[in-house]
Amino acid sequence: MAGIWILGENRELTGELLTAGGELAAATGEKISVLLWKDRSGAEAYFALGADEILVLPELPEDVPPEALIPVITGEAKTSHPGLILLPATVRGREMAARVAAGLGTGLCSDAVAVRWNGERKTFEMERLAYGGMAVQKVVFRTAPAMATIPPRTFAPAQAKEGRTGTVRELPGPPPSPVTVVERKKRERTARDLREARIIVCAGRGIEKQEDLRIARELAEALGGEIACTRPLSEEYHWLPEDLCIGLSGISVKPELYIGLGVSGQVQHITGIRDAKVIAAVNKDENAPIFQTADLGIVGDLYGVVPNLIQEIRKAGGQ
Amino acid sequence: MDFKLTEEQELIRKNMREFTEKHVDPIAVEIDETSRHPEELFKKLAEGGWMGIPVPVEYGGSGSDYLTHIVAVDELARSCASTGFTVSIHVGIACMLVLLFGTEDQKKKFLVPMARGEKLGAFVLTEPGAGTDVMAATSTAVKDGNDYVLNGTKTFTSNGPTGDVYFVFAWTDKAAGRKGMSTFIIPRGTPGMEVGTHFKKMGLRSSQTSEMVFRNCRIPKENLLGKEGAGLLMAMTGFDHGRTGIAAQSTGILQAALDESIRYSKERVQFGQPISRQQAIAWMIADMATDLQAARFLTYHAAWMKDQGKPFSKEASMAKLFTSEAAMRHTIKAVQIHGGYGYVKGAKVERLLRDAKITEIYEGTSEAQRMVISGNVLR
Amino acid sequence: MPQMIACFKWVVDEAYIRVGASGDLDMNAVDYKISDYDKNALEEAARIREQAGGSVTAVTVGVPEATKGVKDALSRGAEKAFFIQDPSFRDLDPSQTARILAAVIQSRIPYDLILCGEGSSDLYARQVGPQLAELLGIPCLSFVQKLTVEGDRVVAERRTDEGQEVCTAPMPVLVTVLPDINTPRIPSVRDTLMASKKEVVPVRKEDLPDISSPFLETVSMKGTSLKRSGTRFTEDPGDVKAFVDTLLQKGVLK
Repeated sequence: MAGIWILGENRELTGELLTAGGELAAATGEKISVLLWKDRSGAEAYFALGADEILVLPELPEDVPPEALIPVITGEAKTSHPGLILLPATVRGREMAARVAAGLGTGLCSDAVAVRWNGERKTFEMERLAYGGMAVQKVVFRTAPAMATIPPRTFAPAQAKEGRTGTVRELPGPPPSPVTVVERKKRERTARDLREARIIVCAGRGIEKQEDLRIARELAEALGGEIACTRPLSEEYHWLPEDLCIGLSGISVKPELYIGLGVSGQVQHITGIRDAKVIAAVNKDENAPIFQTADLGIVGDLYGVVPNLIQEIRKAGGQ
Repeated sequence: MDFKLTEEQELIRKNMREFTEKHVDPIAVEIDETSRHPEELFKKLAEGGWMGIPVPVEYGGSGSDYLTHIVAVDELARSCASTGFTVSIHVGIACMLVLLFGTEDQKKKFLVPMARGEKLGAFVLTEPGAGTDVMAATSTAVKDGNDYVLNGTKTFTSNGPTGDVYFVFAWTDKAAGRKGMSTFIIPRGTPGMEVGTHFKKMGLRSSQTSEMVFRNCRIPKENLLGKEGAGLLMAMTGFDHGRTGIAAQSTGILQAALDESIRYSKERVQFGQPISRQQAIAWMIADMATDLQAARFLTYHAAWMKDQGKPFSKEASMAKLFTSEAAMRHTIKAVQIHGGYGYVKGAKVERLLRDAKITEIYEGTSEAQRMVISGNVLR
Repeated sequence: MPQMIACFKWVVDEAYIRVGASGDLDMNAVDYKISDYDKNALEEAARIREQAGGSVTAVTVGVPEATKGVKDALSRGAEKAFFIQDPSFRDLDPSQTARILAAVIQSRIPYDLILCGEGSSDLYARQVGPQLAELLGIPCLSFVQKLTVEGDRVVAERRTDEGQEVCTAPMPVLVTVLPDINTPRIPSVRDTLMASKKEVVPVRKEDLPDISSPFLETVSMKGTSLKRSGTRFTEDPGDVKAFVDTLLQKGVLK
């Protein structure tokens, strides 16, 4: 094996991957290389976070998509033979990982939630979710390099250690790409990142119309929390932006308190809140699956319950 | 004996399940509460080919067999018994009567739009004084030149208010007894045919039921279905098909009752555990599941007999008798399992119980079915 | 008039999976379905054919029992299907599926556009599409929400982490679609009945190059337990107060 590679999509994600990489480097005695892709300034910061080497990917013109870098990465991997390649499980990261894996003829564990080195069997063991979050799949690799995409926030960001240095190397330019980017539209970011929220109030299909989201917002305010929603409210009704959607195809959160209002509790949504400290729910259907996964549940009509709830919270000295 | 449905039938059942989840479930409670006939839903059923499954393609249907239609009705009734019933009469009686007894012209004129779901059929036999005792009917159709003139009152006509193509039975020759009734195809809007009292019912409320009043209603002789005097025979054939459909409807109701009871009993906690762990409840559910299994096989077998070209009056009657009584029996138990929650509006089992009762009455009461079966078996 | 291939997978319907007491997955009562996003891929191919002409071939890799899945795909607008089948194809890893598809497509199915679902509803690894593109040496446009064919090129609107990106690429090209792209039809009765009359080309393992071993080996598949304590409250004001008190006790309110 010759090194652990990390694809650096941005500072935050690279920091998290460096934590994972750091643990594995310690276990395997390998060196860490960061493939710097965007955000070239302050490459030295990565040395402090654990990188031994920085490989700088070529800059791309505006109308060339990042996937054009795939032949560069694959080419370099064929020469350098890393033992493990970690990429972030983002839209870009996933596609690049799959194509690099195909180019190298190797296995890829998508959305790995745990990564381990088995010193005895000399292989990487990883875990990921399957069947909509209902099962945990444990895998080992039969090929090298081992590859994995890791969802954001699976690992905490690496801690900087002063005094570390390393080498920097430029990678060759990419071959021409047949794909042309015609336009890019930035999504309006909501003010807060849901993944940092301590308290989340999640609106589900029990909310009957868009104006009634106000009920969820009022509760969130009383608790000092943020609002979020289940998939239908953002992807079907478009009541809230996609980055407030929690679930398998949305985001995963780890708040101290999650309260679902009119959320039925389908497994694809629950997957996104499984690490919450306390899960609470308000739903008028006492058979709703969410009551199986909640610590506390109020069986009742949210339209009647939530105003009372807000009152009690204020009385208890909330906000 | 092959107890499997074909892959096509399994896929069709699955597609109907998806259809009901998407289009029927969201409105089932409302159309029951308001007694509304959902035009928009029947349009979608028509588009999917659900209104003429066993009718050949050249007559506007999907060109499949009767069992496939029965499987679809079973699945549809599980979501909404009213909608399942409307499709059942429309296909099983109206479409089948024209298909089996109509002339080419009648098939072109009436069967094609019905099988396409553009027009809705209705079966008009029962009268205020003639229910199980069909022979006590008093409606007459008197020949007059190239027409027949109909007079009489019919009642409990399903699709009465909403129908487009009515199959009406009347005496052309009372003296001929069982060979004296004839069948007429009467399109909506024919002068002399009016919708009478519109009934508010205990259950099956989305299905529209009314009296039909005929006052010197003039019908061209081209609209006589089959031969003069063959009416009762055609009605019996209509019943064979219709009863199999009712059996499918009752099976769907039973399935829904079972699904709800299983779900509820696993969630409802009393005395520290789900009530499904109490033997009293578990045994109710065991009986429900067993009767459902029997119901489905009886029903599918009757449809299979029809597709094999064999006589199936006895089988249709047995299926209808068994499944309707089972549906009634078990919807009562389903409400019991739900306790107070089963008695309130909005609970599915509340609607199931109200819908189930009529299945023991229409298309031949349970008593009439017993007459047919015993008559058959004791020959 | 693009010649299109829509890839689909016949998967366990996860709604029927039960988790046993020991955490084992109980698959005894499961039903199967075409993976949800693959239905979007089939639907998109049918939609493009309606607008731009061309043809749709459905392709799947699975076990011989998956005949119902092939019929289902053919009832959703495909004119023809390639059924690559073997009993050992039950639990392939994505790299095997991609390699098998590449081998068959390359040697037997001419194409301009390949459509795949973004990921399958069972494993949701989201690898087969991009891997297939790489093996075939064609461009890949993933996470597509809107697709148009313009002459010999496609224009795709993709959902990225930052927002949206509109790309164009010449055919042949592979596209993976998101469920937002369309609403898959519920096949009519006639669609289902006609499916059995369409051509199905069986491809056996013996006809393929050797793709025996997976790159990634599944060691175990266990049910996750998401069950929690589940204290219930009613909507009575007294109970709502008790609910808030419990939150206070747990220290999640400040």
